[in-house]
Amino acid sequence: MLAPTEIAPGPPATLPGAGPPRVSHEDLIRRNLARLGWAFSAPALIVIAAFTIFPILFSIIVSFEKVNVSGSGFSFSGLTASNYSIVIKAALWHHALWFTTVYTVVTVLSEIVLGTLFALVLERLTAGRGPMMALLLIPWSLITVVSAELWGYIYNASYGLLEGIFPNVLGHPFSATIALMVADIWKTTPFVTIIVLAGLVMIPTELFEASEVDGAGGWKTFWRVTLPLLRPTLGIAVLFRVLQAFGLFDLPYVLTTGGPGTSTESLAMLAYNTMFTDLDFGPGTAVATSTALIVLVMSLVFLRVFKAQVGKETPNA
Amino acid sequence: MRNRTRHGWRRWVNWVNFLSLLIALFVLLPMYWLVASSFKTTASVGSSPPQYFPIPVTTSNYQVAFGDYTFGRYILNSVIVACCATTLVLVLGILAGYALGRLPVRGKYPMMVTLLMISVFPQIAVIAPLYLLMRDLGWLNSYEALIFPYTAFNLPFAIWILRNYFLGISMSMEESARVDGAGPVRTLVSVIVPQVKPGIFTAGVFTFTACWTEFLMALSFNIENNFRTVPVGIATFGSQFTVPYGTIFAASVVAVVPIAILVLVFRKSVVSGLTAGAVKG
Amino acid sequence: MMPLLTKSPGRRKGAPHRTTGSRILATSAIAMSVATFAAAPSASATVKNASSVTTITWWASPISTSGPDLRKVLITDFEKAYPNIKVNLQTAPTDTDTNRADLVTTISGGATTPDVFMGDVIWPGQFGAHSLALSLTKVMPKSFFSRFASGLVAGATYNGQVYGAPFFQDQGFLYYRTDLLKAAGMAVPKTWQQLQTDAVTLVKANKVKYGFVWEGDAYEGGTCDFMEYYADTGGQVLNSTDSASVLNVADVTKVLTFMRGLVTSGASPQAVDTFQEPEAAAAFQDGDAAFIRNWDYQYAAAQAKGSDVIGKVGVAPLPTFAGGEPYPGYSNIGGWNLYINPHSKNVSADTTFINYMTGTAAETVMATQFSEIPTNAAVRANPAVARLNPPFAVLAKTRLVPRPAQNPNYPKISQAIYTNMNSALAGSTSPSKAASDMASQLSAALGSSGL
Repeated sequence: MLAPTEIAPGPPATLPGAGPPRVSHEDLIRRNLARLGWAFSAPALIVIAAFTIFPILFSIIVSFEKVNVSGSGFSFSGLTASNYSIVIKAALWHHALWFTTVYTVVTVLSEIVLGTLFALVLERLTAGRGPMMALLLIPWSLITVVSAELWGYIYNASYGLLEGIFPNVLGHPFSATIALMVADIWKTTPFVTIIVLAGLVMIPTELFEASEVDGAGGWKTFWRVTLPLLRPTLGIAVLFRVLQAFGLFDLPYVLTTGGPGTSTESLAMLAYNTMFTDLDFGPGTAVATSTALIVLVMSLVFLRVFKAQVGKETPNA
Repeated sequence: MRNRTRHGWRRWVNWVNFLSLLIALFVLLPMYWLVASSFKTTASVGSSPPQYFPIPVTTSNYQVAFGDYTFGRYILNSVIVACCATTLVLVLGILAGYALGRLPVRGKYPMMVTLLMISVFPQIAVIAPLYLLMRDLGWLNSYEALIFPYTAFNLPFAIWILRNYFLGISMSMEESARVDGAGPVRTLVSVIVPQVKPGIFTAGVFTFTACWTEFLMALSFNIENNFRTVPVGIATFGSQFTVPYGTIFAASVVAVVPIAILVLVFRKSVVSGLTAGAVKG
Repeated sequence: MMPLLTKSPGRRKGAPHRTTGSRILATSAIAMSVATFAAAPSASATVKNASSVTTITWWASPISTSGPDLRKVLITDFEKAYPNIKVNLQTAPTDTDTNRADLVTTISGGATTPDVFMGDVIWPGQFGAHSLALSLTKVMPKSFFSRFASGLVAGATYNGQVYGAPFFQDQGFLYYRTDLLKAAGMAVPKTWQQLQTDAVTLVKANKVKYGFVWEGDAYEGGTCDFMEYYADTGGQVLNSTDSASVLNVADVTKVLTFMRGLVTSGASPQAVDTFQEPEAAAAFQDGDAAFIRNWDYQYAAAQAKGSDVIGKVGVAPLPTFAGGEPYPGYSNIGGWNLYINPHSKNVSADTTFINYMTGTAAETVMATQFSEIPTNAAVRANPAVARLNPPFAVLAKTRLVPRPAQNPNYPKISQAIYTNMNSALAGSTSPSKAASDMASQLSAALGSSGL
């Protein structure tokens, strides 16, 4: 196998027969490649910048202003950090933060474990893998609002499926939270399954055969061979699942409306209600931007821990 | 694909098939409830104890969804928006993912982190300023009002995923292409891209689904009936005191069809990709 | 070892790096500008052409659940009466909060359409304070407002200006199973305590699964139910200027204790703390409840095909507390108003439209063909209307109490009410603690903007 490298300035002319230094030639190539890289990335970056930079900056500014929304639009009156102090002192926000964090941890963990298990099973499936994949995509492809309505119908206190076993599932904070998690896990495990499956099939077979030759059993192969190779894939799956879970909105909005009371109100719901129901855009945006900040910090820490050295990664040999 | 031919009765009765069956049940049971309820009459939808089978069967929910609610139009709009956005995301994402994965671009780390930051930002906060942007562009109540924001907000994830798959390809790919005399674009298109078909499929399906199910922007930008998408359409079903589960489920059964078609269409190229991908070690 | 470019046959020396990337960039730029030009101003609304036909857009969520669409029927009638005004109907989301969020986004963004929108009766305070609706006092003659039943215009007022024209009204009624009461020899209860006793008796005798169902979930409907009980104790929420709380904690404790007592005594199921209208109505129509508190649509729904209680339903005013206000108990006001977009370009057409929609012709159609309670006093006073259906017959005997929506912070006020009510109902907090929490959160809601 070839040793993975990117183009580096060529070796000094100390090797026998190296001739004149080849630095400039390699540099030229490298620069051409870099320019090509920019050209390739530019369209995507331009589109992203055009439609996200202004709204995000605007929101950040709004969170630092005393803002009043009226028929004539947003009117600002003075830069202030008071929105953030309101948010930090609010019991509602503390609870929403706690709820969202717990929710994220439990659901992502469950989905990763379940999704990987499903992927392992599917990878071994000889016939019918295609139909199974199609089947798995069905919950994922349901519109979130519809999925929430479906589970709302299942959990309904008056005419739901669980009426005999668990009446009034949504009436207690604890069972309502579990109910939300079950609905989420049902819908999102396919997401993880497909990512992991695609990563699994890209692992070269020689590695598995080598492990079998070494006499390792299935479990050992999994821990020593499969899992480390799956790490980048799993890393991405976890990262983006955490991002999505932290932005939880549709499910509690439709299923529990944040209830009972405000016990299942996620951070995104709190932001939405503050902005569009109470028409307090200042504090509401502050909730949203502080959520973004928290998630950003979490993801950076995560990238560190997972040792995904983003800039230094190189293609496999 | 690993050589796992089983013989005799183990061909059918083995733990892999059994677990697969369990997985299928996990998926199917709530779906059965959805589909069955779409054929129930209004009275039996709300009956307690619940009726497990839709007796009497009725297609009135489907008729109401497509007749009274012009649901067909909403599906068309959703298809157009989702297809255009997904195509844009894949084209731009493949280019950017390849560049950020295998080309010596300076500043990769800051760029990837910035992309992460963008996809992290709660969409709820950006609805109001995005509305103002759309208004100033004159794009309210149009397809582009949704296509471009969807592209912009789904690209970061697509780039991350595609880049990850690009990194998993052996270096020898480009080497042998160069030896054959192919330019960078041809290398990319003819040699590299086929290697990451599973990744492209993944990014494509996720983007399509995200666009298909997006609610907030579609609700705020496309208010006119002609441009409404499926999630917004469903939000207008019923009335203040009724939740018409039957109609909602009927509409969503139909709304699953495009995605099912998508998967079936791409299944062929993906299966070949999944089986071939492991061989070229 | 990286892919090298120099040897590709297609390249000539010195050829510029016109790679696919930049080609794609150019194409997308062109595509975007084409799209921008192609997206000519969309076809929504205001068109004035030579024959001076004005088109206005009416934003309204669905009203009727089955049969002909009330909105379309009224539009047809209106266009017949005023041939030079066309009405373009835009269907709003059915959830009232989603509806409001949409309107806030568009109106604050300066949209000129919709011209007229149908909004909840609890919006005038908020929309008035944020200039999200046009003041009708400024564009309508004074005589316009005298056509409405008493109390409705006051509910649509903020700061002395009227923002909404009452379109149709709704209120809470007590529905009961005539067959069960007759068999048990019970009269229609006039007090809450009596209702509780009757409900418990029927449940214990296994005549019915639930005794009394109502809306106890933590949502706006919970505030409606709460206001009915609370008004029966003689309590008020806000002072006369709607600026300060006058919540009587002792009375609230009494109400919450009673509500919790309904559950603990078995009169109401525990699940009532997650019941909204659909769940309560389903229980009643399946024959599982003896009493229900619901809006006026319940009667027609109970008589519709598929209901298990056809012909067995009676309507009465809500009971009151023994020792509280005299009978009949208070019914909370619901319903919808018509508002004008402050950016509308067709104000005179809008006022003509609103004038017609709240006039005797349209209101009579709503009452006779669609069983919606009219807001027009003349139509209500018409004896023929009272004979149309049992809820209408009871109408004159009821007393109304509005929700405290004259304050712009009403959503937070309502949240303070319904979350604590629900908490006490679920048994998570004691009634006295929930009452004092409600009072403190109410005061906080009236203060500076918080979360």
